Amino acid sequence: MILAARDIAVRYRAGGPLALNRVSCEVGRAQLVAVVGPNGSGKTTLLRALLGLVPVEQGLVLVDGRPVGQWPRRLLARTVGVVAQQEEALLPLRVADAVMMGRYAHLGALSAPAERDRAAVQSALERCDISDLADRSVDSLSGGEWKRVRVARALAQEPQALVLDEPTASLDIRHEMELFELVRELVESGLAGLVITHHLNLAARFAHRIVLLSRGELVAEGTPAEVLKRETLTRTFEWPLAITSWRDGSPQVVPLRSSDPTSQTDEIPPRQEAP
Amino acid sequence: MGGIIYRVLLRYLSLALGVVLSSGTSGCGTRPAVSSGIRVVDDAGDTLVLTAPAQRVVSLIPATTELLFAIGAGPTVVGRTQYCDYPPAVRAVRNLGDGIKPSIEAVLATSPDLVVLYNSGQNAPVAGRLRELGIPSLRLNTDALSDVPRVARILGRLTGHRSGADSVTAVFDTALAHASQSASPRQRKVLLLVWEQPPMTIGRGSFLSELIERAGGQNLFADVSASSGVISIEAVAARDPDLIFTTTEGPSAFASRPEWQVVRAVREHRFLRVKGSEFNRPSPRSPAAIRQLAAKMRTPTP
Amino acid sequence: MSVRIVLLTLLVFACVLLGLSAGAVPLPLTAVWSGLISGQGPEAGIVRDLRAPRVVLAFLVGGSLAVSGAALQAMIRNPLAEPYLLGLSSGAGLGAVIAIASEAASPWAIPLAAFLGALAAVALVYRLSVVSGRRLDPHVLLLSGVVVGAFAGALMSAIMVLSDAPGVRNAFLWLLGGFGTASWRALAVFSAYAVLPLGVLLFHARSLDLLALGDEPARHLGAEVDRVRRLVYVCTALLTAASVATCGIVGFVGLVVPHAVRITVRPLHRSLLPLVFLVGGCFLVIADVVSRTVVRPLELPVGVITALVGVPLFALLLRRTLA
Repeated sequence: MILAARDIAVRYRAGGPLALNRVSCEVGRAQLVAVVGPNGSGKTTLLRALLGLVPVEQGLVLVDGRPVGQWPRRLLARTVGVVAQQEEALLPLRVADAVMMGRYAHLGALSAPAERDRAAVQSALERCDISDLADRSVDSLSGGEWKRVRVARALAQEPQALVLDEPTASLDIRHEMELFELVRELVESGLAGLVITHHLNLAARFAHRIVLLSRGELVAEGTPAEVLKRETLTRTFEWPLAITSWRDGSPQVVPLRSSDPTSQTDEIPPRQEAP
Repeated sequence: MGGIIYRVLLRYLSLALGVVLSSGTSGCGTRPAVSSGIRVVDDAGDTLVLTAPAQRVVSLIPATTELLFAIGAGPTVVGRTQYCDYPPAVRAVRNLGDGIKPSIEAVLATSPDLVVLYNSGQNAPVAGRLRELGIPSLRLNTDALSDVPRVARILGRLTGHRSGADSVTAVFDTALAHASQSASPRQRKVLLLVWEQPPMTIGRGSFLSELIERAGGQNLFADVSASSGVISIEAVAARDPDLIFTTTEGPSAFASRPEWQVVRAVREHRFLRVKGSEFNRPSPRSPAAIRQLAAKMRTPTP
Repeated sequence: MSVRIVLLTLLVFACVLLGLSAGAVPLPLTAVWSGLISGQGPEAGIVRDLRAPRVVLAFLVGGSLAVSGAALQAMIRNPLAEPYLLGLSSGAGLGAVIAIASEAASPWAIPLAAFLGALAAVALVYRLSVVSGRRLDPHVLLLSGVVVGAFAGALMSAIMVLSDAPGVRNAFLWLLGGFGTASWRALAVFSAYAVLPLGVLLFHARSLDLLALGDEPARHLGAEVDRVRRLVYVCTALLTAASVATCGIVGFVGLVVPHAVRITVRPLHRSLLPLVFLVGGCFLVIADVVSRTVVRPLELPVGVITALVGVPLFALLLRRTLA
């Protein structure tokens, strides 16, 4: 397990409510885990706890077997690459220079980038399919392109795990799909992947495992078919839902309107369990 | 607010009383009989008319304070600045601050019938306000030696001490001529260093520059027309003064600093040090100041 | 890149030569040369003991202020940041005025008091920024700087009005700045103060790049954000306080020079900082030359020149970056 949270509890303010209560979540190599849940369920808190950005009151957070508190930032950056939900392109950097910043955790204070570093940057650009953008300035990019630059930057860190927080926010269908395909590809080549997303259906199609949180508690954990059940989801999201399935067998969630006819069989047909 | 109105009324009453009283008395001492009106145009161009010689003068310029005492009008001075220090009797007079933009309330509290202000732009509104309140005020320049006899005469007329003013003027003119004659014939170049951090000097036309010149020296920065300015040590070194004039007591701190050693006069300890307020302003003491300077220029002290 | 290096070297050389030959007494280059090398000639003293240290000191101070400005801008993530916004100038002014008002005899009194005053102001700003719970948060820092600056400024004005000491009003003149009393000794003292902070800032150039991205991205990419912030703060404070103690308040160098350099090069601090240092040095040397030639033989305060030049330059830069 590259990233592991075991029975953690997180409280932001002394005497305040628990943001996370006895939550466990693990990601191993070549595994893509999606963390889903309604607003305020603690998804981002879980991510911050896993990265050591917020202290845990109880439980353990381990990165590659060691407690996260023992990791100096530099070393942590070499192990975990993070793509945050939003980042403004403040400086007029070249894309290649922006991605090179992913190598800073590997570079000394004054040493120039070596061949190894340049190769890592090049490879990251290629895998994210943005090699042709290398000389463009980051403030001339579209939202989708900038997001991919940030993914490339995280890849340039040559991490063992990749963590993405709502990566498809404000992306159109094409860019959403391209991003998830990319992440899945990277995971299949060996990375551990953790994605926070509100997009249940994409999580169902791409993730190996899903973690469902609600109000800081772990509601369900397992394969998409195991977790995305009608009753569980309706209760968690407080909205009537129907579950159908897609050709590849993954469950797909359809929120109901008050005018939709209800049916007792709004559930995945038993003969098409998830692979 | 009410206080001011009260004081203004009081002032009017006292003026009226003063007019009534003085119109019937014969002058004692040097006070002459009252003339029909004293008219003066001050250095700011304003005209001032007094119906009777002033009896309560607030003098907000150290130079005029000295002159008032010199011409015999010392007893009329009811207010002075914190810098007025000559003659020693002046200490008994009420201190009204530094003389620029004085507190009008403080001035009124002395119930003056004449206020003398330095002719600076900052005093213009003060003079205006005082006149509105019915107190004659005038603004005078007291920057050059030539102002001494001129201002003495003005003050003499305004306070009814004409003969005192005349004698002061006569003595001053003679002493001045005498002092200039005894000046050292060789033109010594003198740096007038008035401040050290940063180094500042005084340009030509200023009082101190005039004193030095009459004493037989030459202002190192006579080409500067500004009254004062920051200079570089480099400029001093290039012009190579014979003497450095300072008014600080004892060894000057700047003299020991390495960057000043480039200047020959510093290396050879050729300093011209003086003490006393006669070097700060033109006054009847100026001829004596010039003689003192001339003597020191012949034998500079380290 | 190498063309730039050559051009820059030429620029530095030209500025130094200009600084050595211009002044209250314009000296031909031959006199400068002979003065430097052989020590002969009447101008030798001027060139060796006054102009040479003056030019070098102006260069060092200009470079230090520019580097401080660049580092601060990265740390605060605000391109309008200047070392003087941390309340430094008012703190230094207060120190200087106290020294003059207490009529301290030593010639080192004023610079030392200004140095301590500047550091005190900076420490106070730090303390204020921490009290609100958000350590060195850029917005809080700027506000605290304004508040402390105003407070120190008010105290300074009060002392200037109330004090009887002669020359207290001349504190203004000292504060406005000047290299007129530069000496090899002053240069040695400043260098001793400046070398370490400059080195530390350069060492953390990559961290500055990361910091400029934002706190969270910086952390994710490996920067110890809090530690770097504190370091930048302390180094900037030291450099600027030392500058104020040496030559009074010289503004706009830290603001304008990093901007101008960033327009022409990539904003990566490993190359930016040394460039900014050189350009800042040249800028101040030229400003110093102007200050001592424009109203010859009097000197204008160098701070006035940097402001007069800096403000229109800044307006120009602003238009270019916004366009």
